Amino acid sequence: MGAKDIIGRHFAAQNQTDVLGGRVRLGLLVAGVIAVLFAPVAKVIHPFWMDLATHMFIFALLALSLDFVFGYAGLLSFGHAAMFGAGGYATALLIQNVTDSALVVLPMAVVAGAVVAALIGWLSVSARGVYFAMLTLAFAQLFYTIAFNDIPATLLGMETVTNGDNGLVGITSLTLFGMDTGSLMSYYYLSLAGLAAMLALVTRLANSPFGRVLQAIRENEDRVAFIGYNVDRYKIIAFTISGGMAGLAGGLWVPFNSTATTSMLHWTTSGELIVMTLLGGMGTLWGPIAGAFLVVFLEDSLSAIGNWEIYLGIVYIVIVIFAPRGLSGIVQTIRTNPNPAVLLSEMRSALATYRQKVFS
Amino acid sequence: MILEGLAKTTLLGVEMGMTLVLVTVGLTLIFGMMDVINFAHGSLYMLGAYFGLTLVSVTGNWWLALLAAPLLVGLLGGLIEYFTIRPLYGRNPLYHILLTFGFAILLHGLVTEIWGGQVQNIETPALLSGSVDLVLFSYPLFRVFLLCVSIAVTAALWVAIRRSDFGIVMRASAHDSEMVDALGTDVSRVFTAVFVLGSVLAGLAGVLLGTSQAVDPGMAASVIIQAFAIVVIGGLGSYRGAVVGAFVVGMLNAFGPTFAPQFTDALLYLLMAAVLLVKPAGLFGNPEGA
Repeated sequence: MGAKDIIGRHFAAQNQTDVLGGRVRLGLLVAGVIAVLFAPVAKVIHPFWMDLATHMFIFALLALSLDFVFGYAGLLSFGHAAMFGAGGYATALLIQNVTDSALVVLPMAVVAGAVVAALIGWLSVSARGVYFAMLTLAFAQLFYTIAFNDIPATLLGMETVTNGDNGLVGITSLTLFGMDTGSLMSYYYLSLAGLAAMLALVTRLANSPFGRVLQAIRENEDRVAFIGYNVDRYKIIAFTISGGMAGLAGGLWVPFNSTATTSMLHWTTSGELIVMTLLGGMGTLWGPIAGAFLVVFLEDSLSAIGNWEIYLGIVYIVIVIFAPRGLSGIVQTIRTNPNPAVLLSEMRSALATYRQKVFS
Repeated sequence: MILEGLAKTTLLGVEMGMTLVLVTVGLTLIFGMMDVINFAHGSLYMLGAYFGLTLVSVTGNWWLALLAAPLLVGLLGGLIEYFTIRPLYGRNPLYHILLTFGFAILLHGLVTEIWGGQVQNIETPALLSGSVDLVLFSYPLFRVFLLCVSIAVTAALWVAIRRSDFGIVMRASAHDSEMVDALGTDVSRVFTAVFVLGSVLAGLAGVLLGTSQAVDPGMAASVIIQAFAIVVIGGLGSYRGAVVGAFVVGMLNAFGPTFAPQFTDALLYLLMAAVLLVKPAGLFGNPEGA
């Protein structure tokens, strides 16, 4: 049974206990409309806000791609930088050497990310837990060092391919239907559209039986295997889809930034993504998007008052200890029980558990 | 000439390997006992170097720094374990990766804020500057000292883990912590002690390598990946594996730049991936734990 069959057969979505219920969807729709209307306003206030928002959209897309494997299939990938970088470098090389048409370049970025993900996934999925994390880390670093030392150039006997430490610079903007997307405004909409499309796709996938199987794998993969599902194949497919999205994020990032650098591939990028996903709340799709917005915003606004890593680190550590379901978990608690007393008692019980575990 | 180069590179490899043991031991012991992958371990190593830097510049006494900086790092490691890692025992071990990664970010930020981002150096003590003649070639005295200290610590630790009462409790806790707890030893204290021990060793490595090489905020990120590669190759949780893994990586680091400068790092990660794929428990790991 091919990959297409598995996804296709399960695509008939069911509606009970949907991922992203009606109210969240409404919220996202409102957020989307605000985002669409925001650009002209931002242009009047200061183009900086549009720049920041575009940055946010691209990283939100990346965090969304991680959430699909981490939050749904329970695969902690410490190597998503590899797919991000693969999409980015593919885009840079295509724009420099072949074409700058978005309709060619962006799909190729998706393919690059998906191919790398399929390769890493195929080799890694049989490992579990920390071993999976370590394997993806090792493979991603392998890609990092390949780009850093420009190994393709050595192997192909060319002068330069990835241009090593300097990266590929001066990447021009994409064109879409003959229009240049070089202006911030059009790029803002392009990234927003990319994020919205992928969110719609992931929501459908998550709500399909395919997504349900992934969730079951996260909860108890042995049991899923006993029922008769090919767990490894599901994981590889999920990882490949996720990699394609990460590749798209890379493809959007490189023309926006006009460079493709090795830092895209470095393991700290993978780590930052995990921070975004966890801060927002994994397995909720909208949580990681919010997490990415928050991290990018903090990175930008806090660097004015001091070292943003300090604040981000503290917030993140507190969240991991006290609210492992992230911001979305907090929002969910408030929504199901709008009474402030409930929230207070939840906080109190979290503190009590903490005290008991530390001082017992 | 060839013999000389070969001998020198081998010595360099041994030196790199043995110092990497100091960084790695803590990582592997902590994993073996608590299943915690400590992403902040490289940051503790970095803090050792920075504490050493400040202590040397304030007191002017390198030996004091060599003693005090690791202890300070150990104290900090103990606090981190006690107040943040301890509440997470019993949760999915992935949360430890997530938490300690937060510390890696936080400590990187703090170090950059306090000491700045530039590359600095701990001054070599007068007693250890200069070089020694090793028949075929001469070698900096400090690095001979570094090698001796690393070997001494590695050997002492080996004996301690094998022979001392604490070592026995430690190994027993790694094997079956519930049973050790039931027999009347407070396992959570053992965990804290092991975490402190690992932090002290990382701090010690920080002072030593901060003196022989350089001190900068990037040192944590570069060492932690190497340390991960070592524990994966040797086997997560295995002391013997960490020593062998560090030796392999040290040699790779020493010979790589001469024979295949472009491929040295790639080889490291390929080796790491290959071991994980073929023998996920590593060369000396306990396959049941994998």
